[in-house]
Amino acid sequence: MPPSKRAAPAPAPAPANSSSNPKSKRPRTAAASTSLPAPATLKFKSPAEFFAENKNIAGFDNPGKSLYTTIRELVENALDAAESIHNLPDVSLHIQRIPPHRFRSMLGMDAAPHRVDHSLYKRPPIPEQTTTKNSNLNNNINNPDSHSRPRHTANHVFRVTVQDNGCGMAHDDVPNMMARVLAGTKYCVRQARGKFGLGSKMALIWAKMSTGLPLCVTTSASPSAPITHCVLDIDITNNRPTVISHTKSPNPKTWRGSKVSVTIQGNWTTYRSKILAYMRQMAVITPYAQFHLIFQSNVDAADSKDLEAIFSRRTDHMPPPAREVKHHPSSVNQLILKQLLGLVKPSTTLVHFLSTQLDSIPRSLAVRLINELGPDFTSHMTVSQLQLNHIRQIDALLHAARFDKPNGSCLSPAGEYNLRLGITKELKPTLVATHAEPADVFEGHPFIVEAGVALGGSGMKPGINVYRFANRIPLLFEAGNDVVTKTARDSIRWNNYKISPTTDRIGVICSIVSTKIPFKGTGKEYIGDDSDVIKASVKRAITQCCLQLKTKLVRRAAQKDAAERKKTITKYAPGVAKALVDLFSQVDNADASTRDVVDKVQSGEITKETLLNKLLEHVQQIDKEQAIEYASATGRDHKKTEMVYLAPRAGQEAYLNLWQQRSTKGKHDDKASVSSTVRLSLLKALQVSV
Amino acid sequence: MAPTPGSSRKRTTSKQRKTISKRKTSSTFTASDVMRPVLALRDSMRKQRKAPTTLSDINIQGVLKEVLELGGLFVRRRIESALADVARSILDGRGFRYVVPTRSAGNQLYVEELDRIVLKDKTSVRAFANTSTVRKTAITTRVMGLVWELCKKRIHTTKRDLYYTDVKLFRTQGESDEVLNDVACMLGCTRTSLSVVASEKGIVIGRVQFREAGDLIDCTRMGVGGKAIPPYIEKITEIQSDADFILLVEKDAAFMRLAEDRFYNKYPCIIITAKGQPDVATRLLLKKLKDTLKIPILGLVDSDPYGLKILSVYMSGSKNMSYDSANLTTPDIKWLGVRPSDLNKYGIPDQCRLAMTEHDIKTGKELLEEDFIKKNEAWYKELELMVKNKEKAEIQALSNFGFQYLTEEYLPRKLAQGDWI
Repeated sequence: MPPSKRAAPAPAPAPANSSSNPKSKRPRTAAASTSLPAPATLKFKSPAEFFAENKNIAGFDNPGKSLYTTIRELVENALDAAESIHNLPDVSLHIQRIPPHRFRSMLGMDAAPHRVDHSLYKRPPIPEQTTTKNSNLNNNINNPDSHSRPRHTANHVFRVTVQDNGCGMAHDDVPNMMARVLAGTKYCVRQARGKFGLGSKMALIWAKMSTGLPLCVTTSASPSAPITHCVLDIDITNNRPTVISHTKSPNPKTWRGSKVSVTIQGNWTTYRSKILAYMRQMAVITPYAQFHLIFQSNVDAADSKDLEAIFSRRTDHMPPPAREVKHHPSSVNQLILKQLLGLVKPSTTLVHFLSTQLDSIPRSLAVRLINELGPDFTSHMTVSQLQLNHIRQIDALLHAARFDKPNGSCLSPAGEYNLRLGITKELKPTLVATHAEPADVFEGHPFIVEAGVALGGSGMKPGINVYRFANRIPLLFEAGNDVVTKTARDSIRWNNYKISPTTDRIGVICSIVSTKIPFKGTGKEYIGDDSDVIKASVKRAITQCCLQLKTKLVRRAAQKDAAERKKTITKYAPGVAKALVDLFSQVDNADASTRDVVDKVQSGEITKETLLNKLLEHVQQIDKEQAIEYASATGRDHKKTEMVYLAPRAGQEAYLNLWQQRSTKGKHDDKASVSSTVRLSLLKALQVSV
Repeated sequence: MAPTPGSSRKRTTSKQRKTISKRKTSSTFTASDVMRPVLALRDSMRKQRKAPTTLSDINIQGVLKEVLELGGLFVRRRIESALADVARSILDGRGFRYVVPTRSAGNQLYVEELDRIVLKDKTSVRAFANTSTVRKTAITTRVMGLVWELCKKRIHTTKRDLYYTDVKLFRTQGESDEVLNDVACMLGCTRTSLSVVASEKGIVIGRVQFREAGDLIDCTRMGVGGKAIPPYIEKITEIQSDADFILLVEKDAAFMRLAEDRFYNKYPCIIITAKGQPDVATRLLLKKLKDTLKIPILGLVDSDPYGLKILSVYMSGSKNMSYDSANLTTPDIKWLGVRPSDLNKYGIPDQCRLAMTEHDIKTGKELLEEDFIKKNEAWYKELELMVKNKEKAEIQALSNFGFQYLTEEYLPRKLAQGDWI
């Protein structure tokens, strides 16, 4: 089973509502008996119901955010699927606005809603095509009330389709992987983009809540397998997939990958910039992937704000995949211990258990640990003999004892090289520096911090612009409390590195990967700054970047200085000459020691001009000396090096399959030119939105 | 009228109760009772007076020679000689440079025998043909020219006036002020010798008479505002006084209270304030009064790190002008109040105490490291107490017991008990 975010039918993830678990029952009944009003009936909730009710936990706060999160989840799944089979990811994202009349016909209701009792409604009916500029203008003129309404309340129905060249899904697994909440293959200690098997299911739940339309999957798990078409709904009460159709068709083009499509309510107007920022940042951290974004507003007008953007691949170097590791002893708790004990054979000895099921415990250390635990424990006792209190004792000892730190080799950081490429590719800074910190450990989980600092470039505001990544996912929300933002803002003394934190356009790009990212809050949107180890690591990484930049900046300043030094110095020469001559011409009965100068000035032998010329000569001479010194110290002019394009080493055909399928044949011949025009149109679109 | 100090605090300690009962009797103090300890201090000071040590008396390596008070002609000669060197250097095609004693914190040395800071002999070279120092050299040349002119005409000017003679070159008054100090260092004379003075800041009132440029000034007849301390110390002559001590006050407000209540009439004294950090003129006057009258000086400052810093500037000098510390410092000032231990002793209510800020605490801790504090054990203990309690109080906190508490109760009792350190 390729480890992908797409959830597999979990072998035995006991749902929380399982009535076979007596523990969950007890506290509830106790609580019910103490409450004075009529005893409430005991109810159970499925995980799907829970997340449907608390959809904000998963990032589905409002239609706008839901559109963003849906896109995010599907894109991340696509990347995981491609990376799991070492394919350079090729992800296309298609967002289509569905006009109300089309939406009604999709639901099987053909007539436009007919209003009879107008006082029943909050607002007058919204005319079609409100998104075009002209009608906005008309609205403003005719009806001042509706001034900003179409912009902010214009929730529309969108179809979001994401296609990838990933591992695909086996025919029979599709329903469970796509429509059972909390079913997944990633419940282990490993760095991964997703963890909980929630993303695509939440998109489906949101679709069900807002439009009621099912999710469509087209997938093929291998080039030789037939293509699976599946239309799925979710039974929220039982957290079970409802299969509407599940068919196979031949796969003549030997396609492998998946295509997932959901129809949801969303708000493109308010979240467009976020979605574009997300895609752009994803392109920064994943420069080896090709992203193709199309937005169709389905409004027939010249200024329909349709959008097409290609974030092109810049390298074919993929980071090595993350490895699964065993729990580190300092990260376990009693619950994990019990789970781990349940997974091994009851006859396993405790020594064997400790040395094989946990990280960083060699056999000798396991024996020492057991001796330390006291007379209740013997080295040959088996795990089946362990009582609850034994487990408590083991847990306490594991937290108190000293172990080797877990090493970071299991992680899959973006890599300094890729990060640098991504930054130059997307942010186009004038200067960039990157640095990767060595792995460190927080609460038993290894982590690696990589940072880049970019100066200048497109889309950067003056001041500090923070780009945050956790396990190679861009984090866009709750930036204010994040460890990276706080460190960049408060702990870095930018001025020491010749960078002005208020006027320079600084991009701080920071990627943190870990087997467990210590997110704060429910939304997985930011990492708190209360972990000193992570904070220190982030600070070191940014500081290192700044140091690299400083040398470059100092050199630049020196260049600038050298050009201006003559001007700066000569400016002061006349004043000095005047002051000297003025003074000595007034001196009467001078000392023996100054008589020579006084006499010469008063006799006119020394004038302002002579002094000035001598001073200027001296400055000129010093200038020459310094120019030679500078040239011999720095070598040839650095400015003459050129930017070169790094041609992909792999043949184009190897990863252009999707493109060929999607586009007409003539188009991909001049792909480079297409992508550059598309870029232009994206830029234009961004400018319009601003 | 004054609320009982214990009433606002939850617990009245026995110590505080004692202070309340004491306060009831304090108004019975007669002037002679109050002055007895001060007079004792004065006499013992006069007895153990020895010739002041100078830098040349003690054998210290690596310090700058003391600057001298020089007359206008000497200053002119020194400037001429320095600028003649400059002119010769320019004519030789070598450009020119000034060698200026460094006045940064790293170049300061506290000399315990002298009880003041002096400047070490580190110097920095300012070359004309260097982008980072060209401005300073140009300003230095210009300032020397201006000072020379002042000395020739035998007139004084203020620092502000000097700055306005060439605003375009100096840019800010700070820059011309700094260079002025550098010039004084380079020429080896005091800043006052340069004929440039600061505008008046300090005030004096009380039992002292002197002549200022020939005019008789009687500081007992200065109303309640006091006499502004003139910046030309050499013009103050014929100092006469029947005061028994000098009261150094940090704040203008406390000074006003003392002046209005004619504190100096009941307890013969001279009251001086510089309204915060002391300027050169105030420090010069204090030194001159002390040297002439040989009476003790008692300091009344806020109970915070800055109050102590102000006392330290009077006593051992400021870092910025340490080159002239010999003329500017007056050692042996007694710390009368308001001391951190007074807060509990006099039951200053909680609402009058302020919590020290992070910055205050940092300053306090830095002060604890300073030599002049370490040297005086009693001061060190008080400062330690302040940093430990993290509480500060201003002189005005005493007004909580009534506006005149300071002059009618607090100071008389402090003096009567000889409660200074």
